[in-house]
Amino acid sequence: MQLQLTWDDPVTEEPQQRVSPLPIAFGRELEQLPREIDGQQVHQIVLLDTNSEVSRYHALIFEVAGEVILEDRSTNGTTLNEERLIRGRRPLTTGDTIRIGTYNITIALMQTEDVGTTRLTGGGSTSTVVFSPQTNILPADEILDETPAPSASSSNTIINFNPETDNLESQPVISTPTAPPQPSRRVFPPADVFAAERVSINALHATGYPVEEIDYTAIGGGMGSFVWVDTIRICGVKPDQIRVLTLRPGRPYERYEALLRNCQIPRYKRIRSGSDSCPDNVWGWPGYALREAWRETFSGRIPSAISHLWEVFSEPAFADTYTPIADNVFNSMDREAARIGWDRMVRYGSVRAIRKTEDGRYVIAYSATKPPAAGSAQPPAASDYRFLVAKYIHLSTGYPAIKLLNDLQDYRQSTGDTRKVVHGYEPHDHVYEYLEKNGGTIVIRGFGIVGSQIMDRVYKARMANAKISVIHLSRSPKAGNKFGVAKRYVENHWEFQPFNWPKGTWGGDMRSMLEAADPLRRRELLEAWGGTTTASRGSWRQTVKQGLKEGWYTLKFGQVDKVELNEQGKPVTYVKSRGYQGIEKIEADFVVDCTGLVSDPRENPLLKDLIEHHNLDLNPQMRFHVENDFEIKKMRNDKGRMYAAGVITLGGPYAPVDTFLGLQYAAHRSAEALAGARAPKIGHLEGIGSIWQWLKWAANMSP
Amino acid sequence: MTPTLFGRWQTRIFLLATIGLLVTWGFASGIFGTERGNVYYWVLLYYAVIGLAWDILYNYLQKFMWDHDWPGAFQLLAGIAEGILLAILAAVGVLPNVSDHFDLLMFTIHYASIWVAVYLASWVVMRLLFPRWRFRGGEWVGKWRRTS
Repeated sequence: MQLQLTWDDPVTEEPQQRVSPLPIAFGRELEQLPREIDGQQVHQIVLLDTNSEVSRYHALIFEVAGEVILEDRSTNGTTLNEERLIRGRRPLTTGDTIRIGTYNITIALMQTEDVGTTRLTGGGSTSTVVFSPQTNILPADEILDETPAPSASSSNTIINFNPETDNLESQPVISTPTAPPQPSRRVFPPADVFAAERVSINALHATGYPVEEIDYTAIGGGMGSFVWVDTIRICGVKPDQIRVLTLRPGRPYERYEALLRNCQIPRYKRIRSGSDSCPDNVWGWPGYALREAWRETFSGRIPSAISHLWEVFSEPAFADTYTPIADNVFNSMDREAARIGWDRMVRYGSVRAIRKTEDGRYVIAYSATKPPAAGSAQPPAASDYRFLVAKYIHLSTGYPAIKLLNDLQDYRQSTGDTRKVVHGYEPHDHVYEYLEKNGGTIVIRGFGIVGSQIMDRVYKARMANAKISVIHLSRSPKAGNKFGVAKRYVENHWEFQPFNWPKGTWGGDMRSMLEAADPLRRRELLEAWGGTTTASRGSWRQTVKQGLKEGWYTLKFGQVDKVELNEQGKPVTYVKSRGYQGIEKIEADFVVDCTGLVSDPRENPLLKDLIEHHNLDLNPQMRFHVENDFEIKKMRNDKGRMYAAGVITLGGPYAPVDTFLGLQYAAHRSAEALAGARAPKIGHLEGIGSIWQWLKWAANMSP
Repeated sequence: MTPTLFGRWQTRIFLLATIGLLVTWGFASGIFGTERGNVYYWVLLYYAVIGLAWDILYNYLQKFMWDHDWPGAFQLLAGIAEGILLAILAAVGVLPNVSDHFDLLMFTIHYASIWVAVYLASWVVMRLLFPRWRFRGGEWVGKWRRTS
């Protein structure tokens, strides 16, 4: 008998799975776990814990007379399904969920042909550690590549951003034997020149491609780059010292807005962000709540103005947290972009590679050839390859790619259907249009903010057609994370938090705690604070309650085995659930993946090349390892410095890297480090100088 | 706001020593139409010193909030509690230089003025003067921890 264990990574939220023979011991300390019981090799699982809820040797699962038994040996107990078990034994069956500390592990029994014998004689198995969380920072070439590459045998790709147009493209992958990379990617940059550890400037000129020079370069033209450029502009750097290379030279929020639109947040709706997280204003004052209240006061909407001020005064204790309207944020960014001369700094560029130069700078090889607009009959323009040599680089390329849950990815691969099984971040308006017209059933996977937005959209669709029902599917019920004396609030299995991390991680005690921690402790803290949450908004909670009461919204728990297309052309989800012997089938018209999984940086060709060529360090989440000031230390080249920001740095010294305020924090830290390193024209922003700059902001004058 | 204990202390000291002192000077010099006297300065001093101890309590209570934050509403409630304690201490005569001529009405006006000025300044002045203030839990002096 073998046991399949499934849980979610609490930081990246990705489902993890291991199959292990019995017996299995769980605990906080590897040394305390038995290595052998009755001559049987024990498989050990180490669980991290910041709340002292996991004992050093917590629990054991073993087999007696064909039955699989869970034995709790801990001080705080193990929760089996909803029952608390302390120092007792219970039999286990497929679909049971064990909760130890913050881990929710679903188990499935797997019969092996030859129970018992192969295990003991399976000599040579040097390690019995089934799962010991990776907590080290390792260089890329030492990483045992478990997760990214082999997980889905043929291809785990995912939903990509096109490297030329930045449009989302889902691979309707009918296992084509690895499509060859576009030939153009081969010829440039010249392999011989870029193979060197440090590239010589003369060699660059000798290639005949244009070479430009600049002090500061931002790679990526999205929110992260905008916030960084805004910060260094305010710290004194001039527009002609800065170059931004991006696939979307129009507006810095283009990709963000496209993703919002896809997950059913049009411009007039509110986004999950705070009042004083202002990408247009490094000081965070006046915040969006005050600005909105101000405008409302002058247009006679006093009660609404008061309610917004009340929200920022009493959130989250006595009121729902204030969140700004997307349109207001974008408009404020347009104003700031014009003020700092964003258009003068931005160029279209598809970056192919980055290398150190011999003179303490970096060279960026990019293609400036814009792809023809979709649907236009124009032939592609002639290739325009260029080099940009820069002394300081800021890397903020956003989501490398978007990931579907494995079973949904498998469904797409085997059926080629990308219409009935969709990711919440993909364009999928057809789902609601169909449902409004014909009614039907929609399966939602994931309890995050995207899930809430989709529920909100379905609620609207139900106004047009009441014959729409929702099945919300999750592996296990939610208990609510704990940290110290505090517990996160859960209602109807939706777990609430104003933003995607606890507020104290942006600038409070949690920020300094995480920064001060060693890699193991960091991992523990991130696990305690992470996990899927949504915002507590009165109307959303009401929708859920109403749906449950009226019966059109159902919660189901169980582990998905597979998703298949039936004869009626509908996707059927096979769920191993507790209480049903065997498998439950859920037939639906659509399945929407709202888990919001983001892939590893190595899915992006540029980042992969950067990591592999320079053998960069990766953190335990397989993201870029950055210093406390967001520098990629291994990229340091004499006086040259390279920084990173955004989701590609998740799992390091700072938790909320993928947020407006988190990006401002990263920009602030790297700008201070650059000022300390005497980079040209950049100064510390504080005191009277800071107030002067704020006055310029208020007066809409160039910094 | 999401202050740290050091942040609370630093912010309290800075704001009371600047904005708080300015407001108190207005009272002490009589330009607000009050009776001149040094008693206001003593009130300010006790407000600051006893407040440092209050901050330890707030810092402890804050950990019961999942987000480890301290909403504006809590600041108001804390301000009221601090004011009441100060008034009681003054009335029972344990605050030298204040208790001898304690006037509850004047105390309330003075204390409330400082509180409002400091509260507003913590939202505006601190942010504009020290952009790093909000990223450091209210600490406006001191260095960032050395790299990793």
